[in-house]
Amino acid sequence: MIVPLSHVLAFAAAMFFMGLGCVLARRNLIMILIGVEVMINGAGLAFVGASAFWQQINGQVLVVLLMALTSAEVSISLAMVVYLQRRRGNLEADNYNEMHG
Amino acid sequence: MKPELLFLIPLLPLLGASVNGLFGLLLPRQVRGAIAVLAVAAAFGVCCLLWPLSQGGGTRTVLATWLASGGLQADFGILFDSLSASMALMVTGVSTLIHLYAVGYMHEEQDTARFFTLLNLFVFAMLTIVLADNLLLLFLGWEGVGFCSYGLIGFWYAKLENAGAGRKAFLVTRVGDVFLAVAVLWLFAALGQVGIPEVNGAAASLAPATLTAIVLLLLAGACGKSAQLPLMTWLPDAMAGPTPVSALIHAATMVTAGVYLLCRLFPLVSLSPTAMTVIAMTGAVTALYAGTCALAQREIKRVLAYSTMSQIGYMFIGVGVGTVSGAMFHLLTHAFFKALLFMGAGCVIHLCDGENDIYRMGGVRKRSPFIFWMFLAGGLCLAGMPFSGGFFSKDGILLAAFAQGPGWLRLVWFIGVATAFLTSLYTFRLLFLVFAGPARRKVHGHALPGLMRWTLPPLAILGLGAGLLNLPPLYGGHEALHHLLGPLAGELPAVDHQTEIALAVVAGGLFLLGGLAAWGRYRTFPGERPAWYKSFLLAGWQADLGVEWSILKPFRGMARFCYLGLDQSLIEGLLQGAAETCQKRGEALRRFTSGRVSTYLGGFAWGLVVLCLWFLISLVRH
Repeated sequence: MIVPLSHVLAFAAAMFFMGLGCVLARRNLIMILIGVEVMINGAGLAFVGASAFWQQINGQVLVVLLMALTSAEVSISLAMVVYLQRRRGNLEADNYNEMHG
Repeated sequence: MKPELLFLIPLLPLLGASVNGLFGLLLPRQVRGAIAVLAVAAAFGVCCLLWPLSQGGGTRTVLATWLASGGLQADFGILFDSLSASMALMVTGVSTLIHLYAVGYMHEEQDTARFFTLLNLFVFAMLTIVLADNLLLLFLGWEGVGFCSYGLIGFWYAKLENAGAGRKAFLVTRVGDVFLAVAVLWLFAALGQVGIPEVNGAAASLAPATLTAIVLLLLAGACGKSAQLPLMTWLPDAMAGPTPVSALIHAATMVTAGVYLLCRLFPLVSLSPTAMTVIAMTGAVTALYAGTCALAQREIKRVLAYSTMSQIGYMFIGVGVGTVSGAMFHLLTHAFFKALLFMGAGCVIHLCDGENDIYRMGGVRKRSPFIFWMFLAGGLCLAGMPFSGGFFSKDGILLAAFAQGPGWLRLVWFIGVATAFLTSLYTFRLLFLVFAGPARRKVHGHALPGLMRWTLPPLAILGLGAGLLNLPPLYGGHEALHHLLGPLAGELPAVDHQTEIALAVVAGGLFLLGGLAAWGRYRTFPGERPAWYKSFLLAGWQADLGVEWSILKPFRGMARFCYLGLDQSLIEGLLQGAAETCQKRGEALRRFTSGRVSTYLGGFAWGLVVLCLWFLISLVRH
């Protein structure tokens, strides 16, 4: 393995936290969704790195699973985004606070 | 004669009550009254026809099994022996006359369906007590009597006092009922039987202390229904009911039930000399108490109510000194003359435009000589005029008390004699105040309905002549009732003729003395002249106040403590405190559910931070 595992993990962690920062900092639904994507991909990268390091196929299987999951998630959430845009006319996450206690 | 026919006696009044209760409002007024009268009269007829069944050892018959569980066996059964037969005959007979009178009395009342239903049900319940062959069935009738008295005393319930009087009667007698229930259960626990003959037969096997306790409990139960001290406060207030109801309660049903219970269980009762003395003392004290109260009463019916209490006291003395025949004799004569007096009082009130107060009556003799003579007959029996029914029966009891020799029972005899004087005094006071002199208040007066007049003479004849029922040998009789009751009659007082004559002379002398005293004081109305002792006696020795202070006040205090101190402060405080804490914490937590997605995401992030810290810590620790 050319790249050491620690580098891969550091990069994956950096991706994860950048995605998390995006999710936390942005208020636009689309930007939040992009942040989630970045976080998932960070996690996926960690899986692939670990899979290569230990020569185990499980990590790659999980990544394929993750991709399927992500595509499903993206299709549903984009549909919701379109729906909410039509319904309310904006996509600011703070405007949707019906669950206020 | 089939013994099963005996069930007609109680069931006929029940049938009358059912018809009036279910369809009474659909029937014309006359029919309602007629049904009620016919039902009771038919029961009386059946009672007369089946009288032979009571001879010898009596008849015991069972209609159906009521309760059978383990050792407990209670039937719908009738015990028709000479004691219950003579009692049932009196109850149905006097009730028939009272029902007839009630038809006349109630002829302007609207709600007669309810009235006659309850009246018939009352007779049914009383007959259940009288005829029951086991204590549980007797208890059923006992409760039925309590319920009917409640409904009838509070018959005019639109006035709050009347409803209150009904409730009071129900609750005070209920206190006694609890004791009776305990006694019945105890008897069942000790003997495994509830049948009256079985209990009486097996009573001798009980330990003396148990026996005394059971008899005292029975006495407490009898005191409730028979208005003896200390459960007597309901009786004067029971005058709130219509007059026929008062007559029924005082003469035929209800108050005699206690005496009858003690007579019925006399073989059991007589085994405990202590309890017998207590019974006699209770009767004597009540007789004296009620006699003094009757001296100061102003309402005509309250005078009679206290006199009933006093006379029932004599019956208790009779049971206490061991002469069941004497107690039953007085019970019968008293039923006749007291029904007569109450019905006469109803006529007097009717003649005086509904006036109750004897201080505002007077001169009724001129207005209605017929009522005067009838009332006089009842009054003379009550006061114990020599050779009237009341004289013989009261004398028999006092004689039996005297024959018990020196000791506590001599004191009972002395109180009885003193009360005889008081009885004569208050009876003549009543007679003078109501009938003598000019009318003290202008009245228009109504004509009396015929039914109210003509039901009186039979009772007057019965009251005056009732002495023949149990005439002592001294006067040429042969104590018919005593022989009729046979083994149930208790003992005959063993005294010689000199003592008997002396006691009779004393009784006659006291009668005259009381009459003369009343004549001296009340032959012309002396004015009201209020005094503290009069208001004390008028209020029945402030018995209601005593109950208020000794029982009700502490009870209310305890209830208030339980409500405010325990329930409101302690339990509610704990619960409310817990609820409030939860709510406060919930309010604090509420800030986190802002409904904004970013807040929740922030929550996730913090969770992640915590997880990471946790991993770090565990890393460092290993």
